Order: sequence, then C-alpha cells, then structure tokens
Amino acid sequence: MQGDSAGITDHHMPGSLGQDDSSQGDAAKLPASWPRRCAGTFLGCITALPGFLYFLIVGTALGPFLLWPPTRTSALGILVAGARRLTTLERIRRAAFFGDRFPEHYEVSDQKILRYLAGHALAGLVSSVVVALLAFGVVLAGALMGGMLQGSLRWHNVLGQMVLGGVLLFLDLQGLYSLAELDARTARECFGPSEQELLRQRVHELAASRAAVVQAVDSERRRIERDLHDGIQQRLVALGMLLGRARRGRSPEQADTLLRQAHQESRNILAELREVTWRVYPSALDSLGLKEALGGVSERCSIPVRTEFDVTEELPQPVETAAYFIVSESVTNAAKHSRATTVSVRVVLHGRVLTVRIQDNGVGGADPTGSGLSGLRSRVAALDGVLRVDSPGGGPTTITADLPCA
Amino acid sequence: MRLMIAEDSTLLREGLVRLLFEEGHEVLGAFGDADALLAEMALRRPDVVVLDIRMPPTHTDEGLRAALEIRDRWPETGVLVLSQHIERNYAAQLLASNAERVGYLLKDRVAQVEEFLDALERVQAGGAAIDPEVVRQLVIRTTHGDPLTRLTPRERSVLEALAQGHTNTAIAQKLHISLSSVEKNLNMIFEKLELSHTTGYSRRILAVLRYLES
Repeated sequence: MQGDSAGITDHHMPGSLGQDDSSQGDAAKLPASWPRRCAGTFLGCITALPGFLYFLIVGTALGPFLLWPPTRTSALGILVAGARRLTTLERIRRAAFFGDRFPEHYEVSDQKILRYLAGHALAGLVSSVVVALLAFGVVLAGALMGGMLQGSLRWHNVLGQMVLGGVLLFLDLQGLYSLAELDARTARECFGPSEQELLRQRVHELAASRAAVVQAVDSERRRIERDLHDGIQQRLVALGMLLGRARRGRSPEQADTLLRQAHQESRNILAELREVTWRVYPSALDSLGLKEALGGVSERCSIPVRTEFDVTEELPQPVETAAYFIVSESVTNAAKHSRATTVSVRVVLHGRVLTVRIQDNGVGGADPTGSGLSGLRSRVAALDGVLRVDSPGGGPTTITADLPCA
Repeated sequence: MRLMIAEDSTLLREGLVRLLFEEGHEVLGAFGDADALLAEMALRRPDVVVLDIRMPPTHTDEGLRAALEIRDRWPETGVLVLSQHIERNYAAQLLASNAERVGYLLKDRVAQVEEFLDALERVQAGGAAIDPEVVRQLVIRTTHGDPLTRLTPRERSVLEALAQGHTNTAIAQKLHISLSSVEKNLNMIFEKLELSHTTGYSRRILAVLRYLES
C-alpha cells in the first residue's frame, strides 16, 4: 500500500512542470531576484573549488584502486559517496539562491553525480576566471578614469580604450551568463527530470489516464447492462409469466393469488428500476447537490455512515460527480466486503482542493488494482486528482481522494 | 412432457418450474448453470431441455455450448434455448446441422405463455421453434437484391410462420386463412425461391433458414 501511494504521488508530480509552474506553489521563493542569483553564481564559483580539489586529491588517491578491477567497485563507492555529499551542498545552493525545486526522492545514478560534480567544478573554475577578468577589467577602468582625470591621456586614447573595454565587458558578462545557464541546466539534469522528461511523463500520464477513462466508461456500461438484463428484464419476464399463468388459471382463487403476486412483482420491478437508474446517475446530484446525494448514499447503506460535509462554495460539476461516485463506491465496498460496522465520510474543501475521505473499521485488505478501485482511480486521474488507498490487512481501510477544483 | 431447466435467475427458474408444473408437465430438474444440467443429463433423459444462453461462470454462451453438446450426445432430446438478445450467429450455430427438436426463443417470449408452451410442444414433437423476431431479422437481412423481394406480403408472412416452425395447419390458424391457400402459398414460395419439394416440415425450415442465411 505504501508503495502504491508513493506511486500515485510520483504520478502527480509532473503537475509541478518546469520552473514556471512550480512558482504558483510558493510565490515567495520564485522567481529569485537578480542580486540573489548573482550571489548564487559567485558562490558557485567558490564551491567549484572544493569539487575540483576533491577530484584532484581523492581522485588521485583512489586512482590506483579505481584502475585495479578487484577494488574498483568499493573505490568508486567511496568516490561517489563523497561526491553525493558535495552535490547535496550544490542542491541546497541552487534551492536557496535560484529557487530551483527538485523532486524530493529523485534517484540519481552514480554516473550522473560524478558527471555533474565534474561539470560544475569545471564551469565554476572557468567562471572564477571570468569573474577575475571582470575584476581586472574594473581595476583597469579605474586606472583609465584616474588617468583621464589627471589629464595624462588624450581623448582619442580614452575613446579607444572605452570601446575595447566595452567589447571585453560584453564578452565577459556573456560568458558569465552562459556558464551560469550551463550550471543551471546540469543541475536540473542531475537533480530532477528535465523539462522535456517532465513533458514526456505528462504526455504518457495523460495517454494512460485517457485509456483508463475509456475503459472505466466501458465497464460502467457493462455493469448497467448487467443490472438491466439480470435484474429488470428477468423480473419483467417473471411478471409476464405470472400474468400468463393467471390468465390460464384453472380456478378463480388461483388466478387471484397469481394476480396478487404479479401486482407485488410489478412493485418490486419499480423499486429495482429506481435503484438501477440511481446507480447510473443520481438525479439528486443535479437537483439537490452533493450533500443531499451523499445523504442518499448513507440512507441506502446497510451499515451506519457518519458523514461530515464541510463545503461552503459551489463545486464544479465533474468534481461533484466524481466525489459522489468515490463515496458511493467506497461505502458500498465497505458494506459488502470489509465486514465493517461503521463508515465515516469526510468531504472538505481546502482552498481549491476537495478532499474526500472514506474510512471504515473493517478488516482491510482492499485490492487497489481491483476493478472498482481502479475505476475510481481513472475517474480521479481524469480530473488530475490523486487517489490514495490505505488498506493494510486487519484494517482499517482509508480511501482518500484529492480533487482539484480547477 | 418431461423437462429439465437451466436458468441462472432464480426468479425465472422458479417461475418456469411452477408454470410447467401447472400445465401438467414433469420437471426432472432445474439448475443454475450448464454443468449441473449436463451432469444430470448423463443420468436421466428428459424429452426437452430449456436453457438460458448466458449463465455462470462467464455469462457469455455457456447455454449455447451446452445445447450443442446435448444435440451432439443425445440427439433424441429436444433443446429449447432462451436468449436475452437476438444472436443470429448463435441461432445459426444451433440450426446448422439440422432443425429438428430445436428451438431458439427470446426470453421475453416466455411471458407469452401460450407461445412458449406451443414452442415446447413443437420441439418435443420433433419440430423447430424459432423466435419470430429472429426469423424477421433473417428475412430483413436477406431482402436486398434476392428472390425474396418477389414474394407477396401474404407469401412473406407464410414464409415467416414457416420458418418459425409452424405446421401448415398452425399457419392457417395463425393467419386466418384456409389450409389449401397455405399450401398454395407455400408452393408459390418454393417455386420463387427455387427450392425442391421435400417432405417433413422440419426439412423445409432448414431449407428456408439455410436459404435465408446464404
């Protein structure tokens, strides 16, 4: 179950697609101001040194072991462990100064770690050189200014120096900017999926959820067909048979009994029809709203259902419908399979997310891949929501759905 | 008549048992699935078996497969299959080898008790009982550019009744015409459909159905 919920969390992660998107989550962090970015870049030049030294010293020390096959694995392990620690610092730096938000549990391969650290060390050192050149340029400009003020320079000399200095300044800043970009890109590649990867994941996820929705609709149709054929139709045939028997009845008493049975049967059919249509779509959802429709669910349930409903705003219709079916399906499941004696339902609107939670005190062990739950999952996924099923053996079962109200 | 029933809906099964009992038939057994029916068939031989096509475990064509098996192993037993929908393919499979002691009815037909009992009698007597709706669909399907279009409305209704498995007398009663005019119509039909005259009405049905399917 744990693995399952983690899977769903991952599945939702592409919601924080790229940097633009993550900004809406935490406005204070992004976008970082340019002085902050500059500070981060300069700090990057400084942190490149430990990286470089690490490779130089530890790499050289481990060199023979790395080359000798029997010790290669463990030597590489040591090298990577240190590198990981250094890259963690880099990660913090990027998060603090650039507001980059990387996926929490993104597994990075050893090769990527080493490549990133090497790339960063190189880029950082080159950046240091570029920064040093910039500083040198500033000193030169100062000297030029001094010379001009003292009048020891001719104006055409000053102009020539200024043009030359301007070009050099442009090249220097351009180089610095490119190096910073390179650093950002390698960091993104190492610490989290690149934008392209996120897009690919998102497309994949959308295709999967679309297929799941189609499948869910089909299985829903199949269920309705079964309800109609195995319930209503059989009852109608039985009713017809009762009436037919009554017509052929040998005695008036027998005919009377059969007619009475037929009358009762027609009432049963009506009740069943109402049930079936309600299962197809609860009309109360349109006319009376989610709260009333949920009330209907608890009324028809064989075990007591405690419903807590805390929504004051109006909800989008797809969200309402999904919430209704999540509750009705889960409550039905609980009553049918879990041997629970009570079910509690909570529907709460937090900001723009409707959270629906159904908990029973049953024996647990619900199969999240079963047709009912996977149908619900597709329904939730179609709205870009998240469905979590927690049902350890022995219970209790908790089903939580977060539905964004776009 | 001695019967066995296989129908997974308890409601219908019990209804059928009652109905047949009231009509003076003997129900040897009523089962919820085809396997139980076949197991009992090995021990006792009813005159006619009534069975639903969709039954557990898969609810697809268990009944039809059981019907084919019964026809194969106990050809002297009549088989009346009840179906939820018209499945031309199933009907054709059932009638493929011959159209004797066989019936294919829509479930709704059971509610029309007379028609149902009549179909049972015909199946027991060695005839066929094909649901009018099935026949109608077969006729409709084959009316595009074929000799059937040359039939008069009267001939068409005679042909439909014929395909359902009725005898000439029954057709005359059903359509409120004289026996001789039924025969006259039939001769015209066979002539127009270029069918050789054969004896025994079940073979005629077979011929008609085969023709309709072609």
